[in-house]
Amino acid sequence: MGYRAMKGASWQLNNTLEFRNITKYFPGVKALDNVSFVAQSGEVLAFLGENGAGKSTLLKTLNGDYQPTSGEYRINGAPTHFRSPNEAIEAGVSVIYQERQILMELSVAENIFLGRMPVNRLGIINTRKANEMASAIIADFGLPIHPTTKVKDLSIAYQQMVEIMKAYSRENLKVICFDEPTASLSDSEIESLFAVIRKLKQEGKIVIYVSHRMSEIREIADKAAIFKDGRYVATVDIDQVSDQEMIRMMVGRDLGDIYNNLDRSKTIGKPLLEVKHLSSYYVEDVSFTLHEGEVLGFSGLVGAGRTEAMRAIIGADRMLSGEVLLHGKPIRCKSPRDAMRHGIVLVPEDRKTQGILANLDVGANINISLLDQHSNRLGVLDTQAEQQVAEKSIRDFNIRTPSAEKKIVELSGGNQQKCIVARWMCVSPKVLILDEPTKGIDVGAKSEFYRMICEFAKQGLGVILISSELPEVIGLSDRVMVMRSRRIAGEVPREEATEDRLLELGMMGSETATAAANHRGENEA
Amino acid sequence: MKKTKRIIGGDKLILIAAIVVVTTLFTIFNHNYFSVTNLVNILVASSLVGLVAIGHTYLIIAGQNDLSPGSVAAFSGVLAALLVSNGTSLFLSFVITLAAGAVIGLFNAFMINKIKLQAFIATLVTQSIVRGFAYILCGGKPIAIGDKSFIALGKIRFPNLTAMGSDFTGIPLAVWIMLVAFVVFGFILSKTKFGRSVYVIGGNQDAARLAGLNPQRLVTICFMMMGVMCALGGIVFAARMNSGQPAANVNLEFDAITAVILGGVSFSGGVGTMGGTLLGVLLIQAFNTGLTMVQIDSFWQFVARGALLFFALTTDYLRKENHARQLLEASKRNG
Repeated sequence: MGYRAMKGASWQLNNTLEFRNITKYFPGVKALDNVSFVAQSGEVLAFLGENGAGKSTLLKTLNGDYQPTSGEYRINGAPTHFRSPNEAIEAGVSVIYQERQILMELSVAENIFLGRMPVNRLGIINTRKANEMASAIIADFGLPIHPTTKVKDLSIAYQQMVEIMKAYSRENLKVICFDEPTASLSDSEIESLFAVIRKLKQEGKIVIYVSHRMSEIREIADKAAIFKDGRYVATVDIDQVSDQEMIRMMVGRDLGDIYNNLDRSKTIGKPLLEVKHLSSYYVEDVSFTLHEGEVLGFSGLVGAGRTEAMRAIIGADRMLSGEVLLHGKPIRCKSPRDAMRHGIVLVPEDRKTQGILANLDVGANINISLLDQHSNRLGVLDTQAEQQVAEKSIRDFNIRTPSAEKKIVELSGGNQQKCIVARWMCVSPKVLILDEPTKGIDVGAKSEFYRMICEFAKQGLGVILISSELPEVIGLSDRVMVMRSRRIAGEVPREEATEDRLLELGMMGSETATAAANHRGENEA
Repeated sequence: MKKTKRIIGGDKLILIAAIVVVTTLFTIFNHNYFSVTNLVNILVASSLVGLVAIGHTYLIIAGQNDLSPGSVAAFSGVLAALLVSNGTSLFLSFVITLAAGAVIGLFNAFMINKIKLQAFIATLVTQSIVRGFAYILCGGKPIAIGDKSFIALGKIRFPNLTAMGSDFTGIPLAVWIMLVAFVVFGFILSKTKFGRSVYVIGGNQDAARLAGLNPQRLVTICFMMMGVMCALGGIVFAARMNSGQPAANVNLEFDAITAVILGGVSFSGGVGTMGGTLLGVLLIQAFNTGLTMVQIDSFWQFVARGALLFFALTTDYLRKENHARQLLEASKRNG
């Protein structure tokens, strides 16, 4: 007997989930901007968008992890508001995250029925009944696992299945969302996940599927809701649009002119930073060379290892093997401080938790890199010198703040980022690493950053630009390194850098990408 | 980027007002409260808490904490008394005791930096071990101090105004030590590279490291400083008591932490000033002394102190909430 029949539950085939004017602010950022659309049961809806487009934030405001600043949700027409993910789950709205939310030391059945284990009249847990019910669900899903197995003994894929079954075991499940579910699954595991998703769809659940992988979205999704910069762009039928069209909607074209107007005349000089066979706990065998005056782009999916490669170079993560040469001489940075002394500086990706010093004012945030220069032998700070540097930086980098004493968190995201760039430009670096420098920043500030980057390169600086925004990488880089699965997947010269080429390398790796390119060539011929 | 606004801000005015209110209330119930003798007594009672609160100000701003000061102070008092009674010179005894304090701090930092323990639990370890050693050193009995100059340390008072016809015999040395420490460490916190770095690591260690600081080293220095402050406080306390007492100073950290939080240091790190801490210390000591003077049952005093800490933490929470709300408003304005 199937689990649903066991519980006497009927299928609901006509659920709707409406997003109404959802807006979400974070300090300094507008993460969601008036998002409205409707998701229907009987179809798998993919969320498509670049990193930072607001997909995950939207899921988190849906299930009560975040509270929307304004707007509301309607499930089957009824306004709904969840104060916590728990409330959402109880009401039949589940989000399956990349990171497992299950208890490793408990059994499969205990996890599925966590907090609602069947009990007898005395309140004693009826393990046998729980195992029976779990077996029914497992059979429905067609999985080869046992209800009494401890979850920690399962593969990652099955752990994820347990999570899905946990959501499924709620009779009232209406909405199930998957946030990048396949990131750590093998091909065959992905197949069994898709089988489960199809089953959920058949039963009338609303399935939302967030992924960066186009091929997967083609396979599993019926429609795609496309997001860009926190705004909802459109919902398209997957069958009726090409990948290229969808990507175009994701990245938008309104920035095109900005790149064309950039002054990119400069001379690329001698090799500046050479990285050879670098490995850390997070990346393997990364090699590349950055030249003086060059902007070297780093493209790839989130989690491909771009950030991690840079962290290993500057000593934020431990380097296990490999070599880093600066001006041809080997260097070894044990900490970001060492790297700073060598003139290699990083503007980190996560501005809020790694970039800004949230409790300090604008001036102190800029001057933090100059503490040594600005203090005498006793360590007393020259606040006048600090003030001067702060004021000069505010002018030079066009930081919009009423004064240097303003707390940095009160500035907009773009201006916070300018402070971080100013902080590092104060130390006259040789290599400037920018990790997603324009993430969550408005278009106006973006173009300011682009001009700055070109200007830095013109002055002879080597700039490494990690960006998930393809037009940005293509529009600014002299060369692009593409990373995939913790390794360098390929190197693309400026002339050949197209969005297709970078996406293919980033998503499929060099061999498949080349094969695909050949295939296309043959077709066209 | 210090501005005068930050030195005497709104928070400090509230604290000063609170001290005035507390003093007035207790004076109404007991007229002796607002007498020179009693006010000096409050200062004397503040001196040990004050030194420890200086250490806590650094630690809590740096995102750390310490539950061992009471034990360390008692241990230091016993150690100094023991060394002196064994014929070690006063100077050398003090140096050894202060060094022992620093080593204890180093051990705390080791547990936090290298074994990755939470400060609360790591310093709980030290609290017990060091208290144990305080008893072991003296076999459980207080060690009387015979050395005249050691005792004098607890007796010296200045300025003595009796020559000018006043009956004011001066403020005890213990108080002066505390006040000088506040000035010195207040200056270090607000005006030096080290002080600035402490604020940075308390905000976010990850960001601090990426900004080129060495958070582990800074945490170590803060803990060693705390160890020295406790040792200094313990020595002065022993001098005042004429003996090193292994059972002394229980709950010292409780008063110090309450004072620091009352003084506006945020428990989540990165925020606070030394001036605020001084006011917090004075407020809590005025409160504690007052409770005794109006003859509140000592059991109820525990309840009252707990309530005061609860009040301080709630204020801290409300401050943060308010700040978060302002930020959100600001970002809405920015679009």
